[in-house]
Amino acid sequence: MKLFINKIGLLSIAFAMTVSSCNKEFLNAVPELELSDATVFNTPARVLSQVNGLYGSAKSGSLFGGRYLIYNDIRGEDWVNRTTNSVTGYSTYQGNQDPSDSYLANFWVQGYLTINRSNLFLEGIAANPTAVSTALAANYRGEAKFLRALSYFSLVQFFAKPFILDKGASAGLPLRLKGETSSANNDLKRSSVAEIYTQILKDLNEAETELPDSYASALLNTTRAHKNAAIALKTRVLLAKGDFAGVISEANKIVSATAPFRSSVRVAHALQADVSNVFKAPFTTSESVFSFPMDATNAPGTQNQLGYYFNAVNGNVEYYLNTGPTGIYSSSQFRATDDRKTKLTVATTTIAKFPSSIKFSGVAPFVDYVPNIRYAEVLLNLAEAEAEGGNLARAIELFKAVHTRSDATYDFSAITAKADVIKAILTERRIEFLAEGFRANDVLRRGEPLNSFGAGAIIQPSDPRYIYGIPLAETQTNPSIGK
Amino acid sequence: MKKLLLIWFLMMTLTSSLLAQTRQVTGKVTSSEDGSALPGVSVSLKGTSRGTSTAGDGSYKIMVGDGAVLVYSFTGFNAQSLTVGNKTQMDVVLVGDNKQLSEVVVVGYGTRKRQEFTGAASTVKAASIAERPVQSFSQGLTGQAAGVNITQPNGLLNNPPVIRVRGLSSLSLSSFPLVVIDGIPISTDNVSANSTTNNPLADINPSDIESIDILKDAASAAIYGSRAGAGVLLITTKRGKNGKAKVSIDSWAGISQAVRLPDVLNAQQFMDHKNGAIANALLMNPNAVAASQRNAQNQSFLPNYKPDGSLIDTDWSKEVYQTSVSQNHNLSITGGNDKTNYYFSTGYSDQDGFLRSNSFQRRSGRFNMDHQATNWLKLTANFNYSNTMNRAPISGSNPGGAFNTSGLGRIAVAQVPNLPAYLPDGSYNLENNTVGRMNNLLPAQFPNPAVVRDLDKISSENTRLIANLGAEIRLMEGLNAKTTYSWDRRNTENIRFFNPFNGDGQSAGGDAYNNTARSDNWNWINTLQYNATIATKHNISAVVGSDVQKTRVLNWGAQRQTLADFFFTDFQGNYGTNLAAGNGISQVGFEAYFGSFSYNYASKYFLSANVRRDGNSALSTENRWGDFGGASLGWTLSEEEFFKNMNLGNKISNLRLKASFGRVGNGNVPNAYGSFSTFGSSLYGAAPTLAFNQAGNKDLKWETSTQTNFGLDISFLNDRITLEANYYNKDIDNLILNVPQSPSKGIPGNSILANVGSMYNKGIELAITATPINTGSFMWTTNLNFATNENMVTSLVDANTPILTTTSGLETTSITKVGYSAAQIYGVKTGGVNPENGRRIFIRKDGTKVQYSHLGGALAWTTVADGKATTSPSDQQQVLGNTLPTFYGGFNNTFKYMGFDLGVNFTFSGGNYIYNGSQAGLRDQRVWNNSVDVLNSWKTPGQVTDIPKAVYGDNVSNGSSFLNDSNLQKGDFLRLQTATLGYKIPSNLSKVGISSIRVYVQGTNLFLLTPYLGVDPEISTNGDTNLASGIERNSIPQGRAFTFGINIGL
Repeated sequence: MKLFINKIGLLSIAFAMTVSSCNKEFLNAVPELELSDATVFNTPARVLSQVNGLYGSAKSGSLFGGRYLIYNDIRGEDWVNRTTNSVTGYSTYQGNQDPSDSYLANFWVQGYLTINRSNLFLEGIAANPTAVSTALAANYRGEAKFLRALSYFSLVQFFAKPFILDKGASAGLPLRLKGETSSANNDLKRSSVAEIYTQILKDLNEAETELPDSYASALLNTTRAHKNAAIALKTRVLLAKGDFAGVISEANKIVSATAPFRSSVRVAHALQADVSNVFKAPFTTSESVFSFPMDATNAPGTQNQLGYYFNAVNGNVEYYLNTGPTGIYSSSQFRATDDRKTKLTVATTTIAKFPSSIKFSGVAPFVDYVPNIRYAEVLLNLAEAEAEGGNLARAIELFKAVHTRSDATYDFSAITAKADVIKAILTERRIEFLAEGFRANDVLRRGEPLNSFGAGAIIQPSDPRYIYGIPLAETQTNPSIGK
Repeated sequence: MKKLLLIWFLMMTLTSSLLAQTRQVTGKVTSSEDGSALPGVSVSLKGTSRGTSTAGDGSYKIMVGDGAVLVYSFTGFNAQSLTVGNKTQMDVVLVGDNKQLSEVVVVGYGTRKRQEFTGAASTVKAASIAERPVQSFSQGLTGQAAGVNITQPNGLLNNPPVIRVRGLSSLSLSSFPLVVIDGIPISTDNVSANSTTNNPLADINPSDIESIDILKDAASAAIYGSRAGAGVLLITTKRGKNGKAKVSIDSWAGISQAVRLPDVLNAQQFMDHKNGAIANALLMNPNAVAASQRNAQNQSFLPNYKPDGSLIDTDWSKEVYQTSVSQNHNLSITGGNDKTNYYFSTGYSDQDGFLRSNSFQRRSGRFNMDHQATNWLKLTANFNYSNTMNRAPISGSNPGGAFNTSGLGRIAVAQVPNLPAYLPDGSYNLENNTVGRMNNLLPAQFPNPAVVRDLDKISSENTRLIANLGAEIRLMEGLNAKTTYSWDRRNTENIRFFNPFNGDGQSAGGDAYNNTARSDNWNWINTLQYNATIATKHNISAVVGSDVQKTRVLNWGAQRQTLADFFFTDFQGNYGTNLAAGNGISQVGFEAYFGSFSYNYASKYFLSANVRRDGNSALSTENRWGDFGGASLGWTLSEEEFFKNMNLGNKISNLRLKASFGRVGNGNVPNAYGSFSTFGSSLYGAAPTLAFNQAGNKDLKWETSTQTNFGLDISFLNDRITLEANYYNKDIDNLILNVPQSPSKGIPGNSILANVGSMYNKGIELAITATPINTGSFMWTTNLNFATNENMVTSLVDANTPILTTTSGLETTSITKVGYSAAQIYGVKTGGVNPENGRRIFIRKDGTKVQYSHLGGALAWTTVADGKATTSPSDQQQVLGNTLPTFYGGFNNTFKYMGFDLGVNFTFSGGNYIYNGSQAGLRDQRVWNNSVDVLNSWKTPGQVTDIPKAVYGDNVSNGSSFLNDSNLQKGDFLRLQTATLGYKIPSNLSKVGISSIRVYVQGTNLFLLTPYLGVDPEISTNGDTNLASGIERNSIPQGRAFTFGINIGL
């Protein structure tokens, strides 16, 4: 009996230990490497991290960190595909893109992810009024609105009919301005293109008010939005809207009346004397109004890197320059002595016996900053608007400023008629922004036919290939989106 | 007092029988298996309670009367009844028990006699699995148990098989059964962090396994409550037996080859075909191939010659596949006495794959011991230490890897055949990141497989300790307390080095990624067990207990890129960029309290029930506790007097009806923290960021499965034929799903975990075991198991929101939709090739036929009826076919004659479709090679063919751009899984100290009958996933193996 009691005693200890190990804490497993949504406004540092998170979301290699730019370029006439790899844009290049294409869907997914994160942030900063100072809160709100506007504008250009064709009457995008964290609200029909533009401009106007004049360093002035950046983006949006007067009035806020053109207020934006400096470390010249930074620990990711696509020296030269009559390389405006040819392209390499771009010249992991808004763009936006508006003299001066810094001896005397001035400015954009993701949008925003080298055809605005279809992933989960 | 009674009883019986007793019979009992003497066999005189048992040399003697019948019975053998007649010498050969292999079923927290077991479970003896050239026992279960379907995804070594017990058990959660080894649940997911596959079940040496019990119905499994939603695999390792030490040496060695590789174009055919396709393309689009990438004749593919002037015609599969050699050795020592039993083993396995650079090595040691310390305390200890090394190149055959550009499975057949692997000077033929183009004017798209094969170094290595320590304390007669603490500690080191010359490391100038995972898994079970027999006929047993388990996995790693010097070929070299990669912490805790009760009356009526309360840390705080349980009933009719009186006794030796019902949970939530909404930390340039990265669901609760089973066990002719039949129905509710969110909402991952669906599985299972022939010297035993499964999804988020799933994140291949079985193939229907113009015809949902002309611009898509421009039908997908087999099973035969044994095992499966995506790839008209099918491509108006006109670059017509049903094929098959011929050397070897030797040869995958045209109908490019089964995309094939083995007993 004594033995029996001993055994019971032993056993009781064992059970007691089991039970005590199983107090309530035992089943509490919380994420140790992620922060709860309840704590992200707890410190000013976390709020700032969230703001940077919005930029990080936009700069994803599947969006503004790489592919958005690449897909814009390869739809046009300036590039020839080398590798026939469907993972690197071959279908889009050939005009065979399909709503089932997952890379096109990623523009939509990443764009709307950025939009939702911005919406959540705007709601969060309103709900946590003491998280940061009033001034910082305004600054951050402005940044979130800037990024939301940039995302909407970039998506509406890809997935909807250009504004110019019908004053924005066509179906645009689902306009989502509320943060989404639950399974509700899958269904949402598309707002019109005009409504999307209205929202974009509203965001940018508010951002212009809320954003700071500048930040503490050249790096921050390049990689985070400030007042001038919001204004610069507005010139792009208004140009696409065909609101030339609007472009002029916005651009004049940051462009001096006469040459040398520069911004006299806030960040002192100006053209670099040597264009190639813009694309060299530290990538933070006064010409870079807004760029996405890259770092070895924050690289664009496999098969998203501009350098990998276009650079024949360090990359895989997925696309090389079209030297044929339609390509910009053979344009008479793009002369052999042009810095942009001598310094930013190479004639032949071991991989490709054809000219290719070395604008993005970094080696793996390709940490060249990805420009989004350059001062040169603001000048050319303004030039185009002035030309369209009838002020040809200023238009030519602006265009000259951009061209002559790379090709000082070019003869402009023949460019006098309005049509020629506009044509020259548009050609200049192709030269200046080669490999920077402007081409298709520049054609579409004017409602012109797209001369697709890959498709071997002129794609008219009436052609379904002119814009991208709404991705299947959206049509399958949002029946209201329609076609 | 008891003793006195017993003596009295014995005296009475002896006295009474003495009257009829006339003479003594002597003899020897041996085993039909190997002729060895059987000690301890019960020899009893039928109709009396008298009997004896055989001595150590198998001999016995017994006094019998006239007309006496002797019954010889022994555990694990069929009992035999023999009429003595006038014989005085009776030597008997006992035949191993055919029925269900085992007398005992291992169930949760204990064992049960099979005759008392009323649930549904299958037992597989592991002896035959140890002889097979597999890496883990799980691969050897194919066709062995009714209702257990096993698919080997492809031939990559140690690729975890897909195991489904009674169909699909979940949609988003794992459908892989819970695996419990000697009491401790262990993890079963592939633990590789690279392109190797590392099934942690291979850490268990198959030779150490005694038996595998598969609990199929809820009543059996419910004792595992939350963990048992997908069935339970209980692995019991070998233990020592009383007697002098026995030494066994088991070895096999073998070769393996790839089979059923597709036929592709040779160099000349390739050049002709591609140049023809380019001509067709240029007619459509003058820039289809840039002028700089073709010659004056518009040809881009031009002959290359060897130094001797012959045409270069490379069979790339020879660079990728080989005839491989494998070997496996085990040594075990087992023995014991009344107090202590032990089993000690060491194993070594060294297997090379038919895929070059693919190998598997295991070194393992096990020590199992039981010790009766005192008359009330019994101690049990198991100790298993193993090291497994998995090496594999990028093969595209691991889940998620299907579209890998360097995937050797695809490159082996799709690489450009008019290019060589090596230049005349012996160096690799390279150009940028592909094989060098030589005279071709268009570059190849895939790397040189010789470089990837030789210079990448990819491995996943487990070092693992599984230890259990248990104590069983007898508190009083029939009442035992048991405590078992188990510790499963695994370190996995994943190493990946991509060379800087060709393949995945080229663009980064060399890329090394190492990751180590440390999994610490402990489990403590305490039970109180009570067994009693009251008034001789009421048998009661009851168990109560608690079970807690915690698993914590720490991952850390780094990625290094851009080699400072190509001299370095390891992570430890010098690199330009250092990145954090492969870091993670996750923890899951389970806590459970349970009780079970079983009762039988006179072994006729059986009742058992169990309940369990389970907590799971992966569910929300409010919903993490769940209550589960099950009950079963059994009735053994054959024990009833009325049945015995029906004189069926000779024919029907056992007849039992059983039924069970239960509810279990599925605790394998894929995300340990799915109920939390979280923000992840990353970088923007160099600035730290926080971004919303998971929308959690605070309502996340248990996914449960309610299961019903009706069964019948019947044996005929003295158990010579046994049949077990079961009907099952599994209703799964509150399915935890990644509910798709419309991407415009911007929810990270476009999904939120929620309990929203339900589905059921139902079917029948039959297992027939018989000994059709047994003449003593010749015996044939056969087992046929057959199961059906009907899977049906009955609800999801709503009827209009299906779940779409991609293959390797790129291609939408699968749909799970209400009203259909899960994981249907989803794509656009086709209507052949238009004989007028050679265009593929696609059929819209409304039946309209449209046709595709690649590079046709605005007229790429036109209606067949009137040739008018239309839009792409890529959104006109329909459900094309089910991927889950509706029937499957095995047919296993053993023939024995003298010392020979022949085992012939077939497996079969069918009723399902497979999407042959590899075929889509090999008919794609881009730069890579095509299957010989394209020789039949449309060429002239009026030509009737199933292959469209070849237009260079066309990735739409044959199903690369979006899936179409021209690559949909039936998946029925019959396979000769293994055929084994063994011979036991009969001569008396004892004088040289050897007690037995058996040698055998075995063939695996000897033939396959199937209408399927891909590499193998047993395929799962997406591995164990529930939502995208039945897809073949660029996987390597299965192998055919021949092995030679020897078993030596000392």
